Amino acid sequence: MRNRINFYLLEYVLHSLWRQKSKTLFIGLVLTLLIFLLSALFFIASSIKHELAQSVDALPEITVQKLQGGKHTNIPSSAVDTILSIHGVEDAIARVWGYYYFQKAGVPFVLVGVDPFEEQYKKSLQKIVDNYEISSQEQMLVGRGVYEIFKEHHYEESFNFIKSDGSLYTLPIAGVFTETIELESNDMIILSKQSAREIFAMDADMATDIVVKVANPEEIAMVASKIQLAFPDARIITKEALQISYANIIDYKSGVFLSLFIVSLFTFFMIIYDKLSGLSTQERREIGILKALGWRVELILKEKFYEAALLSFVSYLVGVSVALFYVYILHAPLLRNIFEGYSVLRSSFHLPFVLDFQTLALLFFLSIPLYVAASIIPSWRVATQEADEVMR
Amino acid sequence: MIELKNLSKSYTISKEQTSEALRGIDLKIEEGELVILKGASGSGKSTILSLIAALSKPTNGDVLVDGKNIAKLSDDFAALYRGKNIGFVFQKYNLLANLSVAQNITLPLIPLNPPLSELEEKLERVMQMFHIGHKKDVIVSKLSGGEQQRVAIARACINDPKIILADEPTANLDKTLSLHFIEILKELKALNKTIIVATHDPLFFGLDFVDREIEIADGELI
Repeated sequence: MRNRINFYLLEYVLHSLWRQKSKTLFIGLVLTLLIFLLSALFFIASSIKHELAQSVDALPEITVQKLQGGKHTNIPSSAVDTILSIHGVEDAIARVWGYYYFQKAGVPFVLVGVDPFEEQYKKSLQKIVDNYEISSQEQMLVGRGVYEIFKEHHYEESFNFIKSDGSLYTLPIAGVFTETIELESNDMIILSKQSAREIFAMDADMATDIVVKVANPEEIAMVASKIQLAFPDARIITKEALQISYANIIDYKSGVFLSLFIVSLFTFFMIIYDKLSGLSTQERREIGILKALGWRVELILKEKFYEAALLSFVSYLVGVSVALFYVYILHAPLLRNIFEGYSVLRSSFHLPFVLDFQTLALLFFLSIPLYVAASIIPSWRVATQEADEVMR
Repeated sequence: MIELKNLSKSYTISKEQTSEALRGIDLKIEEGELVILKGASGSGKSTILSLIAALSKPTNGDVLVDGKNIAKLSDDFAALYRGKNIGFVFQKYNLLANLSVAQNITLPLIPLNPPLSELEEKLERVMQMFHIGHKKDVIVSKLSGGEQQRVAIARACINDPKIILADEPTANLDKTLSLHFIEILKELKALNKTIIVATHDPLFFGLDFVDREIEIADGELI
């Protein structure tokens, strides 16, 4: 008999929550909203971290840029041969890339020229070139975000680039790629080096920069200094420097998130503080009545525990589920804008699904036990007083 | 049998100030006795009931119920004692306003976790006894004063307690309903319950079925 589940108590808990429905609804909504906001922030951050980890891994060990008057300018493709002759260099590839501003939509795209027959400097790029065949030199592959923008402006089959002399250069769309690193590839157009040079009005023997592969990571600094010696007017950017630059971008964006996170936590602790500061007259009276009717302190606290646990657990489940839907189905409108693209492309990207159980556990322990404790402590204070005193 | 021995109770108002509600009360009430405890407001009537129900502890003295000193009971045992032995009808009924009649009446049974059939049987019995069955699922805040009082009495009786304590039970009722309550008292007396009614309502004075009337003033028996 003693060990039987007390369904009357559970029924009382549900009635109690229902009896105070305005309060229950208000606290439930605030808790759900906070858990939703925190979960959404954590989910986006996890996805972004995942994306960036992949991007950083794919970075070239060394990038060589020619400077003229302190500004980045095109570099002769022949520099590749000089670089290849340096000891420790595994490969050197002349890249042709740049930004194209689509005036009608008000967004820039990243144009990357590739030669389908040479090995690409990035795994993600290699995957795209391998998976989507560019059958002729005069075709292009576009990222999902770019394609959406094209479609909005009725360029579903091909697109007309405006060259520097004002003439049009039309390229048919050979395919839309949806590679894993969406953050990076969302605003990207892949086309032949020849077409890229045409659009950017570059000479045939020129490249935007040169990326260098070094077999032994220990030798990167040494190889970089040798390239610098060979090309005194060049800027040598190592992977490490790029990683720092990426980290700065993330740190800045994390700062925005951190602000939201702090605001959410602050609100949550305000609720906790309010709960801890005491019970209402009605709540005190109810505890007094229950004591007078023969309820032990343990049973009263059990009832309060179930109430708080049920409310906070439902809020947690709803908050996390809505956040999952918001981030991975709706693609995080509003919050997404903080992270969208490295350029200012306003088209959408899809956050990869990364379910971080540590994050879920952190949120669970941040919300439920804290709220339950905040509900139990004032009830315990009242329940251990004399019933007569409480009811007075 | 209830026995109060040299019972005193004082309340702390501030650090320097205390108020003496009872001073050295000695009283014996036999099983099945119906006692009217009369006196003006603030005379200490409610405090005596509260001490007998173990809702508070005396400053000095003992409260013996069937030979056991309930003044020394721990909080949990006091709750157990109340649940088993005491039915309390409060002055303002102390019902939970947003619960139904049935939910309010069965509140004292929740700690005992009885089988559903037993709970329903007890509920039906008291609802029938106090003519409130037709309002079983009505929220108590929607009941009249008299109906709320019947719910309070039904709740006090659901555990079939030996002792029934009523604190100013007719304070919020008109004369007709007060007379109806007196009829209920008669029925409870017939069931051999020990009943103590704290009141200053003259309707209770001189009733033929009342065993004793005890007057209290300024915390002392007269």
